[in-house]
Amino acid sequence: MIRIEKAAWAVIVGHARGAYPDECCGAMLGVSGVASIAVPLENSYHGSQTDRYEIRPEDLLAVDRQARREGLELIGIYHSHPDCDAYFSVTDLKNSCAWYSFVVVSIREGRFDHAKSFRPNADQTVAEPEDLAYPDLEESACQRS
Amino acid sequence: MPKILIPTPLRQYAGNQSEVELSGGTVGELLDALSRQHAELRRHLYSDQGKLRSFVNVYVNDEDIRHLAKEATPVSAQDTISIVPSIAGGATAPAETATLSKEEILRYSRHLIIPEIGMEGQLKLKQAKVLLIGAGGLGSPLALYLAAAGVGRIGLVDFDVVDFTNLQRQVIHATADVGRKKLDSAIESMSAINPHVTLDRFDTALTSENALEILKDYDIVVDGTDNFPTRYLVNDACVLLGKPNVYGSIFRFEGQATVFAYRGGPCYRCLYPEPPPPGLVPSCAEGGVLGILPGLIGLVQATEAVKLITGIGEPLVGRLLLYDALAMRFRELKLRRDPECPVCGDHPTVRELIDYHQFCGVPRGGQAPAGLKEGEMDVTELKVKIDRGDRFILVDVREPHEFQICSIPGSVLIPLGELSKRTGELNPASEIVVHCKSGGRSARAVEFLKKSGFENVSNLAGGILAWSDKVDPRVPKY
Repeated sequence: MIRIEKAAWAVIVGHARGAYPDECCGAMLGVSGVASIAVPLENSYHGSQTDRYEIRPEDLLAVDRQARREGLELIGIYHSHPDCDAYFSVTDLKNSCAWYSFVVVSIREGRFDHAKSFRPNADQTVAEPEDLAYPDLEESACQRS
Repeated sequence: MPKILIPTPLRQYAGNQSEVELSGGTVGELLDALSRQHAELRRHLYSDQGKLRSFVNVYVNDEDIRHLAKEATPVSAQDTISIVPSIAGGATAPAETATLSKEEILRYSRHLIIPEIGMEGQLKLKQAKVLLIGAGGLGSPLALYLAAAGVGRIGLVDFDVVDFTNLQRQVIHATADVGRKKLDSAIESMSAINPHVTLDRFDTALTSENALEILKDYDIVVDGTDNFPTRYLVNDACVLLGKPNVYGSIFRFEGQATVFAYRGGPCYRCLYPEPPPPGLVPSCAEGGVLGILPGLIGLVQATEAVKLITGIGEPLVGRLLLYDALAMRFRELKLRRDPECPVCGDHPTVRELIDYHQFCGVPRGGQAPAGLKEGEMDVTELKVKIDRGDRFILVDVREPHEFQICSIPGSVLIPLGELSKRTGELNPASEIVVHCKSGGRSARAVEFLKKSGFENVSNLAGGILAWSDKVDPRVPKY
């Protein structure tokens, strides 16, 4: 279960819409399954980024240090899927790790469509869906899984 | 002492510490000391082979150890070691396959309006890659329906040619296709049903040398083979590559199906650790099969493939489905992964593909009639003996219903199963020639008769099929 607070969620959706039609990526910081800060990171994939993303380990290291300084934890990674569903693709799985929640945001025609979260296993063979709660940016909070 | 920063999610395995101070001269020594102190942590950092997991990066201060001396990178007391995963991904599918065209939406309309499949499921089907081994009895319905359902990429492995005896069940091939490559005929039928499917041709037998290379690019493997060496080969390759193996088999009126090697479920070897002795279990060519049966079992396999792709329903994992067409009954046997299984068990001993023909005790490839073996007689020699009026007994060890189809004039019918009780009908002093359909059963009969004291016994090489080919073409082949 991961819950994303409104400020962080606005950053994620804004980042995903801004990067469209490319994929965006970033980290989520928080405490015990609640993400309060989203940190956009550079998509460092060489080549077309419409269906690929890559996070530089140095960037993730810097985020981890930032989290430690602020008394928070690195709890998840987000990325967007432009014009397709928020599923966990084979590419996602093969390049994941079991330590974090992986939030996938579907952006269709530049607009937020839906989002899902996954927990990959240590061998990167399976990712189980996990409950994800995020606020409706217009109205009150809603929950999806 | 050098300090190791523990990533948040791993702290629970490190006594809830965010950093650990340890003594050691190199990164490797430090990590080793760390995982010895906290055994649970080891699993997250190292693979079963004892190597750092591929996504684990280790930094000494700000430097990736891959750019230094890797695990031998020296560390000093002031250094901070960080563990950072490599993370990447992406929707994978190129933009054009991530959506359905107007024509495709119409075509898949009856899928799209089922809530469990819908657009999401249909796109998963479109992005799925399925490998079919064999374009025969099971392969025919599988290939036709998986293509129709919109599986985006289908690979077909087959090296055979369409034969008249195939047409009673292999509905992907038509009468006019006899003599053509099964691959050509199957691919033509599939493209006619659904031109949106990408088809990969593998005009070869699946072997230990090529299996991993062929299988590696597919998500799901469907086994439509009819022989034990290939079945074990497909199983082991699937386990080694971590791909589900959708299995089916058929004989006469009975069939079986299950999904092997899927998410910790059992594999074929958990069910059958050893192949049966060669010749004990007849193939469809030897024993026959109800033509409709592969349609039913093949479609059970196709259904499971579609369920695995779309992630709906309860997969046929850990359950062996048994079907009896005569009683029209389905039964289920529970299957469990065998922790002692040599391939998928806790301590596997088979870590690469082996020689499956040797494992199953059967000769490689087709029966190469490279001359006669000892104790064998050629059909032309038999013809000469008959024409010359030689005195000998010609014993046909086939079954009565086969004898009704065709026989060699002058032969005596003693089905193999009755031979041990009926040796009294044969004179040990006379010359005996034994035949069956193609030479397999008669070889066992000759062996038995020799052990029972008959000395002058020979086996008719190639059986009545060879007789039809070389001596009397009026004798029908079956």
